[in-house]
Amino acid sequence: MPQTQIPEMTSRQRVLAALQRLPVDRTPVCNPTSVATVELMDLVDAPFPQANRDPELMARLAATGYTELGFDSIMPVFSIIQESSALGCRIQWEQKDNWPTVKMAEPIWKSADDIDIPASLLTHPDTSCVLEAIRLLRRDYGDEVAIIGKTMGPWSLAYHCFGVEAFLLMSLDDPDQTKRILDKLKAVTVDFGLAQIEAGADALTLPDHATGDLVSGEYYQRYLRDLHIEFSERLTCPIILHICGRTVDRMEYIAQTGMAAFHFDSKNQPAESMNIVGDRLSLVGNINNPETLFSRDEEAVAAEVVKNLDAGVQLIGPECAIPLQTSIENLRAIRQAVRDWHKATN
Amino acid sequence: MRTTIDIGTRIELVPMDGHFQDITVALYRQLVETMVSQINGQINSQIRDLANIDVPAFLVHSYSGLHGVADRLQQIIRTMMVLGELEPVPNTDGKLRFACGDEHHLAVRRVFLEACKFDSAERLAPRPLSTLDRKSGLTVVVDSLGQGQYRVRTSGDDAEGQSARRIDVIVNGLLKLGEMRRINANGVNTPGATDGVAEDCVAFPCSCSHDALVGLLLLRAPNVRAVVREQESMAARGVLSAPSARTL
Repeated sequence: MPQTQIPEMTSRQRVLAALQRLPVDRTPVCNPTSVATVELMDLVDAPFPQANRDPELMARLAATGYTELGFDSIMPVFSIIQESSALGCRIQWEQKDNWPTVKMAEPIWKSADDIDIPASLLTHPDTSCVLEAIRLLRRDYGDEVAIIGKTMGPWSLAYHCFGVEAFLLMSLDDPDQTKRILDKLKAVTVDFGLAQIEAGADALTLPDHATGDLVSGEYYQRYLRDLHIEFSERLTCPIILHICGRTVDRMEYIAQTGMAAFHFDSKNQPAESMNIVGDRLSLVGNINNPETLFSRDEEAVAAEVVKNLDAGVQLIGPECAIPLQTSIENLRAIRQAVRDWHKATN
Repeated sequence: MRTTIDIGTRIELVPMDGHFQDITVALYRQLVETMVSQINGQINSQIRDLANIDVPAFLVHSYSGLHGVADRLQQIIRTMMVLGELEPVPNTDGKLRFACGDEHHLAVRRVFLEACKFDSAERLAPRPLSTLDRKSGLTVVVDSLGQGQYRVRTSGDDAEGQSARRIDVIVNGLLKLGEMRRINANGVNTPGATDGVAEDCVAFPCSCSHDALVGLLLLRAPNVRAVVREQESMAARGVLSAPSARTL
């Protein structure tokens, strides 16, 4: 919890302390996922899709989260497709105003035996771009701000490589093969994560989309909890697990993994979530994207920030990658609301 | 370190301007202190010339630093002035306002969107207060009655007796797109009125005429659903969904 006697911290110190649930001078504003917008792309001349493929553009656009929006972190991996592209998935790169996506209707593998992780995983242009962007950010910002990388979990990678429907059906019909797939794909998560740490990442977001709408808490426990324990042991920096949707039914299992933090969705109430995880991991989020940050005003943003701060959520930020058309003033309102809350409560 | 500026509340956005390098252009709303005497709205004559009030003003802005952006923004501003009859706010750098001093929130957003779409090869002129209704083949005509009130009628051969229904559609379109109001048979501008309303009449709450604006809205009024669909489709772009929520 924030304490008034804590000397002023740098953004990096603040984020890293909050990820360990150590005292901070104020609650950090943190984005484990993208805060890129079309207006920020114009500001630094780093538009999508190029900013997902060129390290200089990627670093430049990501840095605006810190320089323009006042976040305490910089997260350059905007999309969720970088390593899937390196694995051979077909990508629709889209335009400036939309996200690149994996063409999941054109899966590249059908069974665990098909999995062939290319030797070029970390030298492929779409993964090496991330590594170089992290190096550039570390060079330019030193120890001033937390740099957060991202490595996709095996469940998400399986969706990309096998197709969502096929993989979910397999998880029902053939649990052994499902586990073999996850076990093979975990090497991608670990190798790409370690490479980002080596490049200078302070922490890693690990999205693994066992989302509340399709996968139950019991499924999470059966297929993913042990893998996530392994990730938190093998990846040598704080890991922020990200799963969208209503996830209170698996938060107990998530809290057992040793992850530093859970990036949680606004479908989960901050207080109920804090009650479940206790002091076993930090929570980060959970400002609603489509209804609040994208569609409403600064006052509505501030109200959600306050709700999270009152519940004791350790790091405040959007619940997921923000819509690309989100307004700059609403994003700035997050930091302002955190500052106002501390002023009022101190 | 920060280079973005506080320029008000963003009320509309064109993420990719098809007429200039795919830049993002936005419409921001600010409040600008203005002498009451400069406003044409219904202001108590006793306070006219004596007070300043905050009036909504609109800024067309892009964060792009590309060469030629300033010219493109000026082009959009000029188009808004003609299509929506907005006027420059004195002593500001290109801000616009309605002469009545009202915001006309939805209408000004529509003016901005249409100005961004406007093809500069086309002749720039206010839209007429009449349009051909493709569904009925009738010409829809809007007559300005003064004090911000308008009557919708049709002309042409109404062999299939569609006039009343099409007038109703157009009136509803203007009510929604321009946040206009119904008026009663005596011409009184009545917010939320349902009794004794003139079914073919609409009015602006500011009680000021906006002929160019009505002409612009009239083009979209026959098919408000298409406008809503377009807005929803635009808003949905750029919203990231989890892999489990995608069908691609």
